[in-house]
Amino acid sequence: MTALNPAFAESYSWQGRLLPLIHVLGLVLMLFSATMTLPWAVSLWYGDEALLAYDEAVLATFGLGFVAWSSARRYQRDLRIRDGFLLVVLVWTVLPAVATLPFLLAMPEVGFTDAYFETASGLTTTGATVLSNLDKLPPSINFWRHELVWLGGMGIIVLFVAVLPLLGVGGRQMYKAETPGPMKEDKLTPRITETAKGLWKVYAGMTALCALGYWLAGMTGFDAVVHAFSTMGLGGFSTHDASFGHFNSPAIEFVAIVFMLLAGMNFATHFQALRLGSMAPYRADVEARWFLVVAGVSVLLITGFLLYHRVYPDFLTALRFSAFNVVSIATTTGYASTDYNLWPAFAPLWMLMLSSFATSSGSTGGGIKMVRALILYKLVYRELMQSMHPRAVLVEKLGGRPLPTQVLYSVLVFGFLYLSSLLVVTMVLAASGLDLVSAFTATVATLNNTGPGLNQVGPATTYEVLTDFQTWVCAFAMILGRLELFAVLLVFMPVFWRN
Amino acid sequence: VLSGLDALPPSINLWRHLTIWLGGMGIIVLMVAVLPMLGVGGRQLFKAEMPGPMKDSKLTPRITETAKALWLIYFGLTLACALAYRAAGMSWLDAVMHAFTTCALGGFSSHDDSMGFFNSPVIEGIAMTFMLLSGINYATHFLALRGINPAVYLRDPEVKFYLGVLLVSVVMLSGYLWYHGTYPSFWTALRYASFNTISVATTTGYATTDYYGHWPIFASLWMLFLCSFISCSGSTGGGIKMMRAIILYKVVYREFVKLLHPSATVHTKLADHPLPSQTLYSVLAFAFIYMCSIATLTLLMAASGQDLVTGFSAIVASINNTGPGLHKVGPATTFLVLTDFQTWLCTFAMLLGRLELFALLIVFTPAFWRK
Repeated sequence: MTALNPAFAESYSWQGRLLPLIHVLGLVLMLFSATMTLPWAVSLWYGDEALLAYDEAVLATFGLGFVAWSSARRYQRDLRIRDGFLLVVLVWTVLPAVATLPFLLAMPEVGFTDAYFETASGLTTTGATVLSNLDKLPPSINFWRHELVWLGGMGIIVLFVAVLPLLGVGGRQMYKAETPGPMKEDKLTPRITETAKGLWKVYAGMTALCALGYWLAGMTGFDAVVHAFSTMGLGGFSTHDASFGHFNSPAIEFVAIVFMLLAGMNFATHFQALRLGSMAPYRADVEARWFLVVAGVSVLLITGFLLYHRVYPDFLTALRFSAFNVVSIATTTGYASTDYNLWPAFAPLWMLMLSSFATSSGSTGGGIKMVRALILYKLVYRELMQSMHPRAVLVEKLGGRPLPTQVLYSVLVFGFLYLSSLLVVTMVLAASGLDLVSAFTATVATLNNTGPGLNQVGPATTYEVLTDFQTWVCAFAMILGRLELFAVLLVFMPVFWRN
Repeated sequence: VLSGLDALPPSINLWRHLTIWLGGMGIIVLMVAVLPMLGVGGRQLFKAEMPGPMKDSKLTPRITETAKALWLIYFGLTLACALAYRAAGMSWLDAVMHAFTTCALGGFSSHDDSMGFFNSPVIEGIAMTFMLLSGINYATHFLALRGINPAVYLRDPEVKFYLGVLLVSVVMLSGYLWYHGTYPSFWTALRYASFNTISVATTTGYATTDYYGHWPIFASLWMLFLCSFISCSGSTGGGIKMMRAIILYKVVYREFVKLLHPSATVHTKLADHPLPSQTLYSVLAFAFIYMCSIATLTLLMAASGQDLVTGFSAIVASINNTGPGLHKVGPATTFLVLTDFQTWLCTFAMLLGRLELFALLIVFTPAFWRK
């Protein structure tokens, strides 16, 4: 271990490290309690049976936040990079716990484990559910589930575009230069607020358009709004057990495909394009190009594959089902318009593979992100060239700019850690008695924040079949994937807590 | 892919086993002498540890010299193994043939039941000993024998982890099998767990029981997982090798430290030698290509109609040069169930794994053929 910068080595006690974060977390909780008033209003409007749950939930959340905020107030200080990791992990583990309150109060039979899975699945925009009979849930509970996805999406955009680049997670340093606003390495707050506001406007605007689109295509007003929430968050929750199969409408599926693709692109690119009023930022975005190419080619490939295996009688039917389900899984949304678990194994496997890398950085999608996939491809190619010409000096470029070595390095380590996490979580699920296909696909689907896996956790079923232990493992995988591995793993390492 | 092994003509069986043994000889030279020269996937590293004078410019004199010494050890180990098998009750023919496949970590047997045919703890003990020995770097054996100094083994950073991980795994799996009631007593569980774990982990592939059919799935998965990294570089085993696994662990750890202290300079060392960053880089790229190869080939197997468990485990078993996979290609069955296309895929995977990916993949890049 090397000598530390004296500025870092200041007396770091347990309290000194944790309490300033508790202070911030308290503030987040108080804000979060405000978001619970929306389902409350929905409940009043529909007069559903969950009405009595919200006043207690809002009060409890606000009270908890206030106590945390005020009791840790005197420890308030500027946050540093090191605090960022812990804060991000705290927010993404504590918020789901608090968000279970409406579930626990309105539907006590669900239990904390399943409720936590459901809310974590929402806030990480995964969209895996342990609830069945969705059509019969109180509307306000369904609203709350979808709102969580939408809020999670907002959190992710800020996290990716503003917070993680500062922390330098897995090669994200490289986006620093691309974010608008002045750069200050030492203080997190001012830049985040500024960037976040611009991106949230884009996100909210698109959500409104999406809801309008759904409504025009024939959904009810309520369904249109909640599905717009889960589409833009790339979550994949639905108010129907049959997901999009319930509507059985090509128009609705088309609207969904368009907005899933939009949400799978970097919101910073959308922001720039709107500000400049031109398409140029999209053309300059390497990720967006590859994302659309990969999605398009895969849709055609799977269509051909399904036709060849005679799953569907004609090209247009095959194209319709392939386009919707492939885009839904590849963008890590997780809607289904049919039980694709019944397709020949290659098709769902290919879709799951896409979900692990297709979406752009700065989108609400999961997985390792397209930019890392591109860098990994270039690295591997370079390594092959290097072993042929040992003395050649090869420089990697992306979008015309050379990539610094440290970024390449971080991306490789990220790719490796990602694959290792897949392996370890699959093993743990298998060890606890799940069959291999279910264990592997559940891991892929939760780590990428996609939602449905195959076999026992396929699109026609839910995660209800899992034991409590397995449910916790999957909830952990969702948060691990959502926070891009490093933050969560780092907090578990002794080196993080050492002075 | 053959079944009815017991009924094959002895000469055919002998030929099958001999090809393995010759393959093992080739691998040792490849690993210890040729690949380090080409700098494949971080193997530059091992140059420094090679016995004999180092000349990068000419391959031939060193290879011949090194190869002779290593082959002598390989031959000696095989002979000792055959004698031990004979003494434990095998026929001469069986003893010689099994010694061939044990020291090469191949796993062919002249019986459909593999080592289960003999059902003898003594034979299993001998097999385990020689599998363990063959999983160690032959260059280390050479150094130890030359100086008659067992301390060489302790200095080899791979050996420590190799034996440590195996020991922990065997004990863990024994406990797991016992806990699940697969075997009535801990000792029976230990006997089966130790033999099959060591066999699969060292990428040999003998079986004394149908571990896929009878054991909970986690045990088989863990064994397949082990075989992907545990054998040492310069042994006859497959997978990414222990050396690279250790380096990977260090690189990942370093990355975490760098996240906490972005401006710190962190050096990565192995056995007190600092590792140059090009080596770290190559090892990372190697591991990544390895995992991608598994994913791609598994997808191809699935596309050609094989179920996921069979497809995945057949590829893992082939690319690590282990042998039996799970389900349809499990220890109780053979690769006979595969279609022609799938058989070619698995053959390709075996070559890919054996040649440590790069050598074979480079040949497929257009740049290799360009002038």
